[in-house]
Parts: sequence; structure tokens; C-alpha cells
Amino acid sequence: MSFSVNRQRSLWWGISLVVILSGLMAMAISSVSLGSPLRLGLDFIGGTRLQFELACSTTNTCKQPIDIDVVRRILNQEGLGNSSLQVIDQYGIGIRTIPLGVEQRTRLSSALTQELGAFNPAQTQIETVGPTLGGQILRSGLLALLVAFIGITIYLTLRFQFDYAFFALVALFHDVLVTAGIFAILGLTLGVEIDSLFIVALLTIIGFSVNDTVVIYDRVRETLKLNPALNIKEVVDQAVVQTLGRSINTTLTTLLPLVTIFIFGGDTLRFFALALIIGFVTGAYSSIFVASTLLAWWRDRQPTPTPSPVT
Amino acid sequence: MGKYRGWLIAILVLLMAATWVIVRTPARLGLDLRGGAQLTLQVQTTDKVPQITPQVLSAVQSVVQKRIDGLGVAEAVVQTAGDDKLLVQLPGVTDPEQAERILKGTAQLLFAPQKPGTEAQLQVERQIQAQLLLEQTQLLLEQSQNANNPEALADIEAKLAKNRESLAASQQAIANLFAPSELTGAMLQEAFASPVAPGSPNWNVIVRFDPQGAELFARLTKEIAGTGRSIGIFLDDRLISAPTVSAQYAETGIIGGNAEISGGFTAQTANDLAIQLQGGALPVPLEVVENRTVGASLGQDSIRDSLYAGVAGLVLVLVFMVAYYRLPGLIADIALVLYAIFTYAAFLLFGVTLTLPGIAGFILSIGMAVDANVLIFERTREELRLGKTLYRSVESGFDRAFASILDSNVTTLIACGALFALGTGFVRGFAVTLAIGIGVSMFTALTCSRSFLFYAISIPSLRKPTWFCPKLETLK
Repeated sequence: MSFSVNRQRSLWWGISLVVILSGLMAMAISSVSLGSPLRLGLDFIGGTRLQFELACSTTNTCKQPIDIDVVRRILNQEGLGNSSLQVIDQYGIGIRTIPLGVEQRTRLSSALTQELGAFNPAQTQIETVGPTLGGQILRSGLLALLVAFIGITIYLTLRFQFDYAFFALVALFHDVLVTAGIFAILGLTLGVEIDSLFIVALLTIIGFSVNDTVVIYDRVRETLKLNPALNIKEVVDQAVVQTLGRSINTTLTTLLPLVTIFIFGGDTLRFFALALIIGFVTGAYSSIFVASTLLAWWRDRQPTPTPSPVT
Repeated sequence: MGKYRGWLIAILVLLMAATWVIVRTPARLGLDLRGGAQLTLQVQTTDKVPQITPQVLSAVQSVVQKRIDGLGVAEAVVQTAGDDKLLVQLPGVTDPEQAERILKGTAQLLFAPQKPGTEAQLQVERQIQAQLLLEQTQLLLEQSQNANNPEALADIEAKLAKNRESLAASQQAIANLFAPSELTGAMLQEAFASPVAPGSPNWNVIVRFDPQGAELFARLTKEIAGTGRSIGIFLDDRLISAPTVSAQYAETGIIGGNAEISGGFTAQTANDLAIQLQGGALPVPLEVVENRTVGASLGQDSIRDSLYAGVAGLVLVLVFMVAYYRLPGLIADIALVLYAIFTYAAFLLFGVTLTLPGIAGFILSIGMAVDANVLIFERTREELRLGKTLYRSVESGFDRAFASILDSNVTTLIACGALFALGTGFVRGFAVTLAIGIGVSMFTALTCSRSFLFYAISIPSLRKPTWFCPKLETLK
């Protein structure tokens, strides 16, 4: 056996620690400067996002691009001076404000129409989330994560043993922390916000990442049953090598559609796809290099060898 | 190989059934794809209704349904969501401002006779109220202009709170001048907006009572006709107009059951009120806590982009499988195409509404569906390298990979379950599409590719070693 995942385990654990620690640092910085570990989007803190496009843009009859100063002035008049504002492709605007009621919103859009010209209703997008609802969405999302963690631990304890389940769980936390950490960095540097889809992505990541771990565990269990006398480190090394082709190929076939979504899929899905890409790559890494080596380390430390798990 | 022929025929029949379903059933697209507005309404508790019971919620739902029907939006849907929320879907609506307005007031309408001897007092109180309302408008304007000035804002808000208190007191004082009455909006048959005079910018709301209401109205008008006292018309406990009844009705009262409400309405406000009255009073107030509106062509753009992405992703996966796994890869590809067809048919059968995240879940599941086959083929290769016969290798590939496939799918289903149980709206849609995808992939990856592969290796000319595993010289 030329490749031993256990021999260099301090390297693998070191890489993970460095990535996780830098993510945690980004979260700490973000907590101080933004008030939350990740930059929370509309879904979680509430607010209104409006997107308009001039009607003349469809017919190519616009005389001049939208002047951002005019829009800024109108926002100031409406008392919405500290809203974020962006011009999209010259003839579109995106506005992000505090949650607006129907009267305020209607007043704002008619003021904009008066100054800039008519908007194309088919290209309009309105999103308002009340602050209390935002809090609820965040809480239920975090609760869903917790429930999934517990459910997976129970299932793996039943199918394998508790220490298997525990290290699988460590690997899942690893994946969630790495993904969240990278998004904390993206939030600080590029202003990337997380929304409900990010929670969906995290849940999908743990569902998928645990697959890789389970496949390796299955192999460990099978090998242990055939050769109970073998040292656990060797068993784990073999299992990892034997399943390596599968782990790489599965991750690759899952990443292919995600990369296409990331490239072509439009704004809504872009960061969702990115979260999944980061999470799936990390998930494959943690299954191969973290969950397996931790299991070997733990079982190796036990004074008497535990009986091989039942199938 | 008769056993596999039986399976092949079953798969063919299933394929035909799925195709039939796809051709016959139109897809249910979410509002984020076909354009439209989705509002989430939260039911508010009041002193009278301190708790939202399922009965209260369903009463609110039926009133909301009627008011939404009054808008004339095709295929509008009102559903309950959770314990205290309603979901209103308005396909094709690009700005739900009218819907938001008509859902706001509770629309409790009351016709009450004025108590004798209070004429002068009523005038004074109404003047006080008018003054207070003017002040409120002024303050609200200042509030929005000073949004960036915290100091001024605090001052204005204090004034507003005081103003609200005075208004409530004034409202109570006015209400005390009227006798209790049973004639409410519940006895309405019809309500519509009409201009005061043809072409006038001022509008009234005309109401027509049901027989019981008409009788009460006649009695009420008879009682006060010619006395100089007025009928108070209250909307949500606020007096909006107080007409008097002329002496000519003293004999019979106003019969026929028609009444006109004037209150300085514009065409829009009169129309909104008519819809609210027509739909009946809400037992509790509502708040719009979420509004997601997408223009129709934005939705079409997202469908197009997502479909391109999906097809591109699928093609890449198919190419990869053939390049790496050869003949078994080709068979897995056929199973994968079947997977896509069956899954889509299942979406239609279960009435899954396709949203953008749902499509993403579908595309994602295509990549994941391959996993089972990858596991099986990797295992088959291992067995081949150990020198087993082709038939034995394929068989143990399927048998030994089964435990891993089951475990990994169950864990993903656990995550789906958590998403479904605790998520809302589109998050649930994503969980359902992913779960259906996993179920179908168990079938296609195990049954379909197994039958195809065993059928294939029963044909001698297909049993070439390099078609199964590169660098393998001989096949046993």
C-alpha cells in the first residue's frame, strides 16, 4: 500500500485547522463590524429590495442611462438616504431599503417613474420581508440544521457504532464551518450576503458529505469483518484507497452540474451553487482525510480492541 | 436471461406511462418562474381575539379569499401557512399594491343612530378629529423626511404617539354620541363604487343590504328622519360619514335597502372599500410580512438560464461516465436519462410546484443519482481485477454496493426531512424535489441499470474486457 492517509494525518488536520481558524477569524471580525458572523441578507433581517428596468430599454429607445445621483436624491427626499443603490446595465436600478409599507413603496416608485420614465412591469422585482418574519426564518433554518445533525447521528449510531457516528458528525461540523467561514470572508471582502438558500445549501452539504463518510465506513466495517486481526490504521488506509476512485468520481459528477449553474444559472442561484461547490469539495476532503483518520486515531488509543461492529 | 427481459419490458411500460404523463400534464410553475406576486400575511391578535385558533384563521382565510376574488386576478390562491399566517399567490400581478391595501383594514362597518340632544357636541368633536387627522398627516410627512436625523425623529415620534392617543380619545368621544345598533357590514348584499356625479373625481360607495339589513335600515332611518340627528357610518370604529335623513322619510324610513356612503373618496379608495365591504369584515387585523414579486420576463429568463445549466451539466456528466466507465458508463447514462424522465413525471404526478430552487435541486439530484452507479462500477472493477468472472463481478458489484447506497440515501433523506418539516415555502419545494429524486434514483440506479447490464453481458459480442475495465487483458 503506497498511500497511507494516516501517516500524514497531522498535515490533513493542520490544513483543516488553518482553513477553519481563518473562517472563524473572519466571523469574529464580521461579528464586530456587522453584528453577525455572516453578512445576513434580506431573508433574515428584513427589508425591501426593489428592482426596476426602464420600459424604453426593451425597445432600445432610451435617451440616456439612469443617473444614480437622481435616484439618490429621490431616496433622500423619501427619507431613505442610507439605502444601498446600484445601477444595473445602465437602464435598471436595484434599491435595498428598510422594510417599506405599501404606501411608502408606491410613493417611491411613482417618484422614480416621474423622474426617470416608465418602468417595464415584466422586469420588475419587489421583495419585502418583515423584520420579525426574518428572525423566524433564521431560527427555523438553524433548527433544521440541528435536527438534521441529530437525525444523522442517530441513524449512523444504529447502523455502525457511536464513535463512528461521532466522527462523522465532526466531519459534518467541519464542512459547515469551512463553508460558513469562506462565506464570512466573502461577506467581508465582496459583500456577499447569505439568505434562506444558504441554509438549504448547508443541509444539502451535510446530507451529501455524510455519504462519502458512510461509504468509507462501510468499507472499514467490511474489511474488519474479513480480517478482525488487522490493525485499525491499516484497515482505514485500505478502505480510503479502495473508495478513493468512487469518492473523486462522485464529487466530480456532482460538481459538473453545479459549475454549470454557477456559470449560467443567473444571480439567484449563483451563490447557492458556490456554497454547494465549496461544501461538496470540503465534504469529500473531510470524509477522506478527517473522519477516517480520527476514527483510526481513536480506535488505536483504545486499550482493548472493541469488537468489530455488527452488520 | 428471461428474468431480465421481463424487467426490460416493465421499464419500457413505465417509460411509456411517464412520457404520457409528461405530455398530458402541464407543469405547475412557481410564481418566481412565471411571474407574479406572493404575499405572506400574518394574523394579528387583538384584545377581543387574544389567540389565533384554527377557527379564527379559517374565518380570516375565507374573508381574504373573498377580497382577493374581488380583485379579479385569475388563478389567485389563498392558503394557510403555519399557525398564524396566510399565503396569497397572485399570478401575473407585477405590483400587488392594491391587494396589499385591501387586505389591510378589517372593514367593520356599522350604521348607528345618533343619541338625541348631541347635535352640537358632534360638530365640535368632528372638528377636533379633523384637526387631529390633519396634524397626523403633517407628522407622518415630517417623519419620512427626517429619517436620517435621529434626534428630530425621536421628537416627531413622541408627537405622533401623543396624536394617536388624542385620536383614540376623540374617536371614543364620538362613538359615545351614538346609540348601539345591530346594522353592520355583515348584512350587506353588495357594495360598489360610484362617482358622486358622472365624471366627478369624488366617489361614493353604494351598499345594498340583504332583506334583514334592509328592514333594520328602514327602521333606523324612520327613527331619525327630520330630527336633525344623523346616522353614524363607522368603518373600523372610525366615523367616516354622518348623513342626516330628511323629513319626507318619517313615515316609512328609507325602503329598498340601498345606502350611500360618502366620505371624500377617490375612485381608488372607493373601489378598495367596496371590495373590502363585499368580502366581509375581518375578525382580526392582518399585516403583510413578506412580499415577493417577480416580473414575468424575469421569471422566463431564470427558467431559460436554469434549463441551459441543467442540460449542460447533464451532458457533461453523461460524457464523463462513458469516457471513464465505458460500456457500464453508457448503460448508466441510459439509466440517468430514464431517471430524468421518471423524476420529472413524478413531479407532475405529485403536483410539485416547480420553483427556481426546485429546479436547482433537480439538477443537483442528477449529479447525485450517478453516485449509486459509480459505487457499483468501482466495485465491479475491483472484483474484475481480483480475477473473478464478468458475471460474478457485476453481481457482487451490485450486492456489495447496496449497503453503502442505502445508507447514503437515508442520510440525505434525513436532511430533506429536516428541511421539509422546518422550512417554509420554496425551501419545502426544494426538499420535496430532492427527496423524489433520491427515491427515483434508487430505482433507476439499481433496477434499471442492473437489468440493462445483465442483459448486455448476456450478448457475447459485448463481452470485451476493455469495454468494462481499461488495462484488463482477459475476461473470464
